[in-house]
Parts: sequence; structure tokens; C-alpha cells
Amino acid sequence: MRNDYPNYVGQDAPATKRPITKLPPWGETSVVGKRLARVDAYDRVSGSAVYTSDVILPDMLYAAILRCPHAHAKLKRLNITKAKSMPGVRAIMTDASPGANIPWFFGEKGALSRLFDPHCRYEGDEVAAVAAESPYEAWDAARAIDVEYDILPFVSDAEEALEQGAPAVQEGGNREGEPYVRERGDVAKGFAEADAVLEETYRTSCQIHTPMELHGSVAQWDGGRLTVWDSTQGVFDIQRSLAQTLNLPLSSVRVISRYMGGGFGSKLELGKYTVIAAFLAKMTAQPVKIMLTRENSFLCVGNRPPNTIKLKAGVKNDGTLTALHLISLGTGGAYPADSSVSYLVRDLYLCPNVRTEETNVFINAGTARPMRAPGFPQCAWALEQMMDALAEKIRMEPIELRIKNIPSYSQVRNNRPYTSIGLKDCLVEGAKTFGWKRAREQPRQDGTIRRGVGVAAAMWGWEGEPVSTAIVKLFPDGSANLNIGASDIGTGTKTVMAMVVAEELGVPLEKIQVENADTATTQYAPASGGSQTVVANAPAVRKAAVEVRTQLLELASDELKRPVAELTLKDGMIQTLSEPIRKVPLSELKILGRVQTIVGVGHRDPHPEGKIALPFVAHFAEVEVNTKTGEVRIARFLAAHDSGRVMNRLTYENQVFGGVTMGIGFAATEGRILDGQQTGKMVNANWHDYKIPTAMDVPLDETCLPIDPHDTECNNTGSKGLGEPATIPTAAAIANAVYHATGIRVTHAPISPMQMLALLAEQGERR
Amino acid sequence: MEKEKKNEVTSESPAGMSRREFLGTVGAGAIGATMIGPATATAREDSSGELPLVSITVNGWVHRMRVEPRWTLLYVLRDQLGLTGTKPGCERGECGACTVLIDGEPRYSCLTLAVEADGRRVTTVEGLMDGEQLGPVQQAFVGEDGLQCGYCTSGQVVAAEGLLRRNPNPTMEEIRMGMSGNLCRCGAYDHIFKSVHRAAKLRK
Amino acid sequence: MIPKFDYERPASMRQAIKQLTLPGTRLHAGGTDLLGCLRDGVFGAEKVVSIGGLSELRGIKRASDGSVTIGALTTLAQLAADPIILRHYTALAQGALSAASPQLRNQGTLGGNLCQRPRCWYFRGDFHCLRKGGGVCYAVGGQNQYHCIFGGDACYIVHPSDTAPALIALGARVRIEGPSNSKTIPLESFFVPPSKDVTREHVLAPNEILTEVLLPAPAPNQRSSYRKVRARGAWDFALAGVALCMHVRDTGEIERARVVLSGVAPTPWRVPDAETALAGKLISEETAKLTAELCVKGAQPMEYNGYKVNLVRGVVEEALLGLR
Repeated sequence: MRNDYPNYVGQDAPATKRPITKLPPWGETSVVGKRLARVDAYDRVSGSAVYTSDVILPDMLYAAILRCPHAHAKLKRLNITKAKSMPGVRAIMTDASPGANIPWFFGEKGALSRLFDPHCRYEGDEVAAVAAESPYEAWDAARAIDVEYDILPFVSDAEEALEQGAPAVQEGGNREGEPYVRERGDVAKGFAEADAVLEETYRTSCQIHTPMELHGSVAQWDGGRLTVWDSTQGVFDIQRSLAQTLNLPLSSVRVISRYMGGGFGSKLELGKYTVIAAFLAKMTAQPVKIMLTRENSFLCVGNRPPNTIKLKAGVKNDGTLTALHLISLGTGGAYPADSSVSYLVRDLYLCPNVRTEETNVFINAGTARPMRAPGFPQCAWALEQMMDALAEKIRMEPIELRIKNIPSYSQVRNNRPYTSIGLKDCLVEGAKTFGWKRAREQPRQDGTIRRGVGVAAAMWGWEGEPVSTAIVKLFPDGSANLNIGASDIGTGTKTVMAMVVAEELGVPLEKIQVENADTATTQYAPASGGSQTVVANAPAVRKAAVEVRTQLLELASDELKRPVAELTLKDGMIQTLSEPIRKVPLSELKILGRVQTIVGVGHRDPHPEGKIALPFVAHFAEVEVNTKTGEVRIARFLAAHDSGRVMNRLTYENQVFGGVTMGIGFAATEGRILDGQQTGKMVNANWHDYKIPTAMDVPLDETCLPIDPHDTECNNTGSKGLGEPATIPTAAAIANAVYHATGIRVTHAPISPMQMLALLAEQGERR
Repeated sequence: MEKEKKNEVTSESPAGMSRREFLGTVGAGAIGATMIGPATATAREDSSGELPLVSITVNGWVHRMRVEPRWTLLYVLRDQLGLTGTKPGCERGECGACTVLIDGEPRYSCLTLAVEADGRRVTTVEGLMDGEQLGPVQQAFVGEDGLQCGYCTSGQVVAAEGLLRRNPNPTMEEIRMGMSGNLCRCGAYDHIFKSVHRAAKLRK
Repeated sequence: MIPKFDYERPASMRQAIKQLTLPGTRLHAGGTDLLGCLRDGVFGAEKVVSIGGLSELRGIKRASDGSVTIGALTTLAQLAADPIILRHYTALAQGALSAASPQLRNQGTLGGNLCQRPRCWYFRGDFHCLRKGGGVCYAVGGQNQYHCIFGGDACYIVHPSDTAPALIALGARVRIEGPSNSKTIPLESFFVPPSKDVTREHVLAPNEILTEVLLPAPAPNQRSSYRKVRARGAWDFALAGVALCMHVRDTGEIERARVVLSGVAPTPWRVPDAETALAGKLISEETAKLTAELCVKGAQPMEYNGYKVNLVRGVVEEALLGLR
């Protein structure tokens, strides 16, 4: 399906229902902000939570997908005769199956491919699917499908894709449209005004999401109604796409994802496997479960594009930035996808003259999907190393240089002011807590080990746009039910939302029942991603809870014959605020027994008028470089975040360290490797050779420093997004620390011992 | 072939039920019972006509069953016995999500053939419960928030239990080493270490 | 999901060897590498023959003369934790501990670690390479950052074992049981370079079993270590590593040394020149540098693995000085 991931700028604010009640900002909170265990921790630690992978339905079949093993090929022969007769096989779906001609991957002129496209443009492209009584039998049959391909010339590298005579991935060549150029001011003039101009080329590798739970779905029909359990970040997006694809009304498509094992952006869109499961389920009249393999997860469910970024920067001796020019070449794989990176260059620092030119090219590899802060870690890798280089050039302290250029408004949004910007505090307080000054001055060497510290700043650029609705229901005994559409992808969404209810209604967390992520029974929420889950949902939940309290107090007022203004809801009791004092437990409120439930509905408010609310961050790293072996050890780390109000201190901290961990992967261990000179296949499509950080790769000494600017304008909870800022500047901070330690600027991510050794050797030669 | 719809998708979505409730509706599961033959998929006979018969004790209950030699312990636990707490992450011994204890030692069930588990005692995450109450390691993970999406959590909890049985008072570095066979893509490592540290205290 | 196979679990060595004489059979010890290879289609199996029931192959025994016999089914975890191994054969304990992950060490056996197939991603992947009977070594013109800088010949794998270099440094021998006889050979002779045969890594016939590893009694002045450098902190094969075993006089002079590299050649790579040069010397910065240079003499880096030359230098220096 079309990757509708929005541009970061210029979206309309959500529409909402009239009237818009503006809730006063919270002052001191009694539940929100505390360190509280997750409301569903029991389910997850006991093993009783049922993820899509765990769904077992009676009569269920298992499906396996046959995929093209070549980087670029045309299907020549597909014979399913033998496979069809194998034990346990119930159905096989191919391009020839009725209804299989489903358009897929869209460009400007429409569909570029289809479900089982005989023109396979990437390793892992779907060719056929088998449903059988057990997964073993499904795979036996998939292997027995007689298939032959005409192998075509391929291209694996963005620069090669632009060369004359490069094999064409798409008709019309390998450029995806014209370069995207954005400009303000006059960069030539800006460079002329600068006292120092630096230019550097940076490269980042292709990072792959690989969430712990594999991608997959279970599909079940009841006549014309389809129920799908999908490991997804957004049940409503999947519902919409599925309904469109299968030409069904939304009311006939139910998508459920109450527990899902991570996505990081790879589970925002409808997967081919989901459509295939639906078809096979229809063909067999049995539920069908289709789970991808781990090897598949490297090839065909998205990635973070690799980018080559040329960055030129001009600065005055007093630290004022005068010009920034970014030229980026990225590849989103075989079909149109977003490989843009320029946001931070355009908006993080004040700069009147900025020009960015971004080109996306096709290569014969899996199509990109948004990955945790798409484009931002790549840009931070370049920009934040450049800021350090500029600081060194003009002999300015690197933190001072950044502080000098912090804006109070968004330059890419017609200078719309921020509701709050805690970036300076992130840098200053972060530096203080980290012991920055002393660490920068200390001697760097200890035998063969060189120590260094580095900093990097960033922001996240999307405030989210879709609506969200929440319903809070009060049971007659005073316990509550919270109904939200959001998936909890690991960020603690259910817990945070329940805490909002607890804050407003005084109901303890253990008495709040949370329902989520079911298109049939829960309210609309945008997909959980883009660091906007708390931002989109918590204010709606607050409003719903407040509406419940309002109705409750009105009812209590009738029963107790006291004005509403003299009543409050506290500790699960209606309490009077003046004499005679009465405390009535909700379970004793007769009227509650008569109405049975009180229902409050809340919707997300529009964005703050004329302003923009975004999160900011500064990361600090200390590294130890072993100059004999090239090993880079991250000794300690500090993450200072302005994400507005901390909703749950425990889960907030976990998110931050989680983002840092993913950033360590980007910085030091991860990268897709293609056999570019021979077959174009991915050589490291497994979790041994594609190396994500292990327990031994993260520092034991990690600090999370929340910086709360007490933003009363961003929304009625004062919170801003966190999930993505937590991974944006991590790698750049590490690279800056490596530079401080060794004097070597590592421009190519990841910084492996292999690369470090080569660079150390070069340095040795140069000396 | 005429097919009767056996399950009803009512307002309770199976994915939201606890596993125990769900097993009741599905009819799979062999809690406390001796089982002859697998519940959901038919093990097909091979050329010699008979499949190996194994006896595996899982969480204290003995299961006698015929298995295909190629079936992994992971597959048997989940798809035959309905114990879906143990998770498939890679099926290649590269992630740890499938960690179980075999005779008290942490092992990857995806790399263990069911036939090789014959006569052995297997403990899964479900086996660390105390009835419906969480065991001490599980409690520690709740208290220290040693999880995010929760998918690696079963494996982490079982690996932690195995570590603490062998070394009841590990240092942070020993904890890190002991847990180094369990990936967490959400990056909850810091909290996982703290959870294991706390679990050591709770187990006393 | 792995294709079907039959399964036998013989009760005796005789029966096991008899089974393994049949075509299409594969030996299952710990099973960690076997299952990985079956999943990747590196080879197939019609019948898996499990030797897990041969309890005589487990355990670490010390004889009255101080020599040690390790059963091939002893797990890496047992090796890493054994007090005799830790104290007297430290390199082996460190080698075992540095392998894989805790769970894999609980399952993987010493025999399996020595007999394991290479990790070359072309060998393991969907490429019909030379070692699997095809016509091409894909590493030559491809992604060879993890391939060898010594001993390559038509095939350029590195041997993945961490225990093998340690054992060779410690002077280990291995016992092999076959259908008609049993023999004991130095571990060094167990491995087969591609120049001899590109389709196998060791001398075992399909119906031979490595049953025991024999270590000589440690000299009182023996010290040993194994240091491995990898791309991430755990669960990773060596970019390069070195096993050292030295006998050092009270005066500090090295009486005898063995230097064996991992991650650089298709077999564990002993460096006789370095060993000769170390004899009679003191462990010093200078000796370390000299040794390191000798360890990289004659290296033939490929397009992407040149870093291994400096890495070997660095890790040898570091390891040698660490035994001071």
C-alpha cells in the first residue's frame, strides 16, 4: 500500500467536535509523573499476554510465503502441482489465483506492482503462498513449489544507481522524481559572510527495525466479515487499508492488536502477508495464521534508508551560523519511499540561509519504511558532528555554540513560535550532571585506552495530526473502564492513559480496566508512532475523565442536595468541601446504581493556536577507544530530554534508555550489507550477522535527566513526544566523543572496530 | 467439505483474553493431563511407520506424546501444549526469546529438538508462577519495569531465574553477562539489569 | 522450518558409528550448529543420530599424572566453570566463556565447537559456494570483511572456534573413534586447510566421532590466555583473537611459548616464527611488538579485511603484555 507517512510540516490541526473545552493545566499531580508499574506488566511477565504470534484458533491453518531469492528477476516458471499434493496442504495462492491482482506500491502515476508481481525487484519479493495444517507442512510445500527465474542485472548502491547505464529498477530510471529542493535566504551570500566555512561528507548505513515479534497476522472470516489479528502499531490504518484492498465496508473489517511485540515504524502499514492470509482464509474457509521468519524481517518489511550527506556550514567567529547547505542522496529501496533527512538542518538551529537538496534513488533491495525518527538520526550524524567541527574551528565551546543558535520559533513554519523549548536547559543541566567540563579538560590517554566525551543536540519535527477519541466509563462501584484505540507498542501507553484517568477520577490503577487496539470495540486513535501517542491520546483521555467527573458531580449534587461547587471527587468518594462534611463512597451513591454507568467521551484538541509544540533533546556520551584493537566502549551516557511533562517516570526512563540503545546500534554495530558486486543479495539477513546491541553493548552507567519546561500550551497534559527524540542524537554524541578521544572524525556509521582500526592506522601514518 | 464454525468471535477477542481463559475456548492444552497425540496438528507418520514417543515434564506435569523428530521443543510447547508464553524470535538461537530452563539450565527451545527433551524437566515462564501469583523474578520485573513491548520478556525472566539459581548474589557485571543471551530490541536492558538485581533480593 | 528427518538415539558408541555409516545421516551432539545448518540448507539430513545418550563422553577427568581428559559432550559452560580448567588451562576456560551466549554454552559441546561449520555468510546463505560443492568462492569478489588473511586457497573462510586455538596452544590431542579403530592425534592435525580439501574443515569421516580431548599435565610455570575481539560485546565470532600458552621461568624469561590466532585463517593459525622468537625473552613492550610483527608476517588481506592485520598486531601485543 502507499506509504502515506506524512511530511513533517504543514499538516492541518485535528478537527474536533464543538465545543472545545479548555481544561486548565495540571499543577501538582498525585498520580501522573510517578514511578508506577505498568498496568499490563502482569500479562507480559507471566506469559499470559496473547500476541498475534500466540493466537491459536480452532481449525487454524498456517501459511508460508515463497519469496524471490534474487535481487532482481522475472518469474519464468511457477508450478504448484507437486506442492499442492503434499501432506497437510489446503490451498496455494499465486498470481493466477482469482482476485490476486491487487495493486501494490504506488508512485505518482498509480500502482507500480501487485501482490505477486512476476517482476521481482528485491530479494524477498512475494511469489506464492501455501496454507497447510502445520507450519512445517506449509514450509515443506513452499520449498516444493517448482519455480524458475530469469535473473536480471541489479543495482545495490545509490551512487551506482545514478550512473550512466545502471540497471533500471523502475521503468523511467532510478531517480525517484526530481531532487527535492528547499531554500531560504541565499547560501552563497551566507558563506561569503562567514568567518569559517567547513564542508564534509557523511555516510550512514541501512538500519533495519527487526522488532522482537515477527510480522504477521491471523485472518478469519465469518461469512463476509473479516477479523484480523495483526502485529501492528495502528489497527485503524490496517482496517482502512484492508477494507479498501478487499472492497469491504469498514464495518466488515475488524483488526485487533492488543499486544504487539514492537514495531519502530515497520508495522504502520498493511503487509502483503495480511492480505494473503485473508485470501487463504477465504479459499480454505478456515482461519489462517501467517508469520514471517526472522530472515524475512531483514528483507521485506522496511528499513531506514542509507544516506550520503554532504554538508557545508558557515559560521562567524562569534558563533552565529550564516549558512547551511545540505545535499543528500538516499535510497528507499525498490519502490517509492521517503529517504529525506534535511529537517534538522532546516530547523534545529537559527540560520537565515539554508539550502537542502535531497535525492531518492531506487535500488534492488527492500523498500524502506519509517524507522524511529525517519531521517533524523542520519541528519544529526552529519549536523552535530559539523557543529563540533565548527566549534573547534572558531575555538568556541561546543555547547556554547549550540546554545548561541537555539531558536524560539520554527523557521520552517513561517517562524511560528514554540510553546516551549527546553533545549538550552537540556544542554546546560545535562552538561552539569554529566560532569562535562571536567571530562572535556581531563587528559585523554590511559595507556592504549583513549577517553573522550561528546555531546549532540536534536529535536523531533512532527506534532502529529490525526484525531483521537477516548471513552472513560465509570462502573457503579466506582471502578472504571478506559477505552482507547491506541496500540501499546511497548511505550507504556495503556499505563499512561490509565494514570490520567486515575489523576482525574481518583480511581486507583488496579481498578481501571483498559481496552485498546480493536477497531470494532475501541475508539479511533492514530497509529502509535511518530512520538505522538501520548500527545494525541492523553489529552483526549483527560477530557473524557473530566466529563465523567462533571456528570458524576452533577448526579451527586442532585442526590446529596449540595451545589456542584461544594463537591469534589477524591479517593473514590464524593466529598463535600464545606460543612457539614460528608464523604460518600461511590458504591453508596444511589443514583449511580440507577444510571449504572457514566460515560465520558473526549477528543483530541486542535493544535495550539499559532504555536507549535515539539520535543528537544541533548545526549552526552563518554567513550573509551582501545587504540590497539579499535574497540569502542561506551563507558557512560546521559540523556537530557525536554518532552514536556513526565507522565510516568519509570516508563519514561525506560523509553529513553531504549532509544539510546537503538542509537548505539546505529552508531556502532548495525548495517545491512549487500553482496553488491555479485548477486545483490543481503549477506547478513540474520541476527548474528546483522548485529543489534546486546546487554554487553550498553553502558551500565546511564542517566535519564528529564527537563520539564512546564508547557501549559502544548495540550492539556503538558506532555510532548519522547520515543523518537530518544534515539536521534545518540550516534552523533558517540562520534563526537570518539573525536574528542582520538582526534579522528568518523564520518561513516557504524563505528565498528574494523573501521576504527583503519582510521587509527591512517592517523598513525599521517603522524 | 462442509465445515462447522467451531469458534465464535464474540465481543471478547481471544487476543485480549489471558492464555488460561483462551485455552478453555480452544480445547487445546494438557494441564495436568497425560496427552496422547498432539492437539492441533496431526503428526504424520514417517517411513518406518511410527513417530518417536517422548515424555517431557513441563512445569511439573508429565506429557507423553508422539512427535516428529524435527519438531523443536519451542513448537511443541506452543503449538502442541498451548503454552504460548515462550516466544519465537528467530528460530535460530540468535535472540533468546524462546529461553526455557531444561533441568534448571537456560536453553534455547528453538534449537532443542523435542526428542532431545525426552526425560528432561522443562520450565517455561508459566512455570515460574505461583498459581495466579507472579513468582519473585516476575515481580521484580514488574517493579523495576524490566520490559517494554514484552515480547522478549518471557525469555528474559526465565534466563534471570536460571542465572539466579546458579548464582544467587550476582554483581551487576555478572548479571549483564548472564543476560547477554537475550536480545531486547526495545532496549530495556538497563531496567532488566535492575530487575534481576531486585529479583535476587526477592528470592531470598 | 526444517525438512523432515528420521531420528535415532543409539545407546552405545558402536551403534552410533554403525548408524553414522549409513548415507544421509548427521551427528547431533549439542545440536546448536546442526539445527542452524539444517535451517539454512547448508546440508540436509535424512536421519539425525544423537549421541546425547553416550554418557561416557561427558565430564572432565584428571589423571594421577596431572593430565586431563575432557569428554567431547562436555558443554562450553561446564568448561568455563570448571576449577581445574580455570586454574590450569585458563586459555581454554576463557575461550569457552567467550563463545556465543550463556544459553548456547549450556547446550553447545566441546566436540561440537571443534567440529562446527564455518560462519562465512556465503556458506551459510543461499549461495552455492565452493565449499558446498559449487563452483565459486563468493568471498573473493564479494563482502570479505570477515574472511581470512592467512591460509586462503580457493576458499577463504576463517575457522570460527574459540576453544580450538586455546587447545592447540595448550598442546591438546583428540581421540577419534571409527568403525574399526580408535586413534589419537594432535588437535593441530585435526583441521583441514582448503589447500588440502575445500569441502571440509576437519579430518573426521562421516562415521567417525571425536570422543575426547586430552590435555597434557600443566607445567608449574605455565600461564595461558585467550583474548578475542568482536564487533559487539557478546554473541559474536572473533574478528581476530589470540590464544597464548607460555612457560615462564622464575627469572621472567619465556621458556617456551605457543601462539595461535583465531579469526584469521581457515584453521586455527599457529605462528611458529613468533613462538621461536619468544623463547628466552622477557615479556616486555619490545617483545610484544616483535611478536606482533611476526604474527602478521605474510598476511594476505582481501579487499575489505585489511583491518585484521593491525587488529592481530594489537590483540597479540595486548594479550602478551597481559600475561606479564
